[in-house]
Amino acid sequence: MYVWIWRRLPGGVPAKLFGCLILLFAVLVLLFKFGFPWLEKHVPFNDVTVDQRVTTTPSPSPSPSGSP
Amino acid sequence: MTDLVVEPRHADAHRGDGVRMFARGVGQLLITAGVLILLFVAYELWGTGFYTAAQQHKLETTIQKQWTGSSGPDVSTLSVDNVPLGTGLAVLFIPRLGRHYHFVVVEGTGFSDLQRGPGHYPGTALPGQVGNFAVAGHRTTYQHPFKDIAELRRGDYIVLETKQHWFTYRIEDVPGTNIPWKEIVSPTAVQVAYPVPDQPDPTKSPTLKLLTFTSCHPEYSARERYVIHAMLVNDTLKPALPAALTTKG
Repeated sequence: MYVWIWRRLPGGVPAKLFGCLILLFAVLVLLFKFGFPWLEKHVPFNDVTVDQRVTTTPSPSPSPSGSP
Repeated sequence: MTDLVVEPRHADAHRGDGVRMFARGVGQLLITAGVLILLFVAYELWGTGFYTAAQQHKLETTIQKQWTGSSGPDVSTLSVDNVPLGTGLAVLFIPRLGRHYHFVVVEGTGFSDLQRGPGHYPGTALPGQVGNFAVAGHRTTYQHPFKDIAELRRGDYIVLETKQHWFTYRIEDVPGTNIPWKEIVSPTAVQVAYPVPDQPDPTKSPTLKLLTFTSCHPEYSARERYVIHAMLVNDTLKPALPAALTTKG
């Protein structure tokens, strides 16, 4: 996979290295901006409230009926 | 001798290439997966803290502006239903967790509220009021306001700063009740945040001024909830400082 990407990158070795950096940066931005924030809603270790429902998906709205 | 060994390899060259390529592909995939998981862990443990730090800074600026702007009542005189979600309520100090420990408590315990700081369960009492000021906070992510919740001991002080007051709560077994200073409960044990905690009736009218913290337990897990109860012991009017913050805690 990485070999394939390396081959498709244009230019000589310095240009390819630069291309790699750009790609890496883009992937990291996508992950940290969108991928991880989405994923963390589906892992349980952010649950800190007591709640009627036993679920790992957090409620976007406040807890039901005033008492959590 | 060496020629004899090399010869058969040559014959298998094509088949070997395929196997090698497959193995390399799997290897790269596994390494990539590992790096992704590590990145996610890094994001959760540290990346999320940057967001909270920025949000806390904003909340702090806003709340200070509200306080000095001198319009608007103290939060302790408001009705619990009149606080919009996401607004800063009070500033939380816990001397046991260090002189620099302070967080703006946000109204609401939804995911987005708790990303910004410790969150007040909507509908529970406000600081200084009769009832139970219940707050949830992260223990491992989002600047983990309750990371060291297990360091809290009986007798420790929890101080809330509002516009005009310093409310000092002390962690203790609440006298005359069955409410312990600390308990570890199931995630569905909503009664810990009731106006009168740890009894079955959510509508029972309270007489005491209590405070409750909830966070996850064990650390890095969500199997149970770590709960702390405290009782109001002092109400100091500003600009005087409460004893819990001036004496070495």
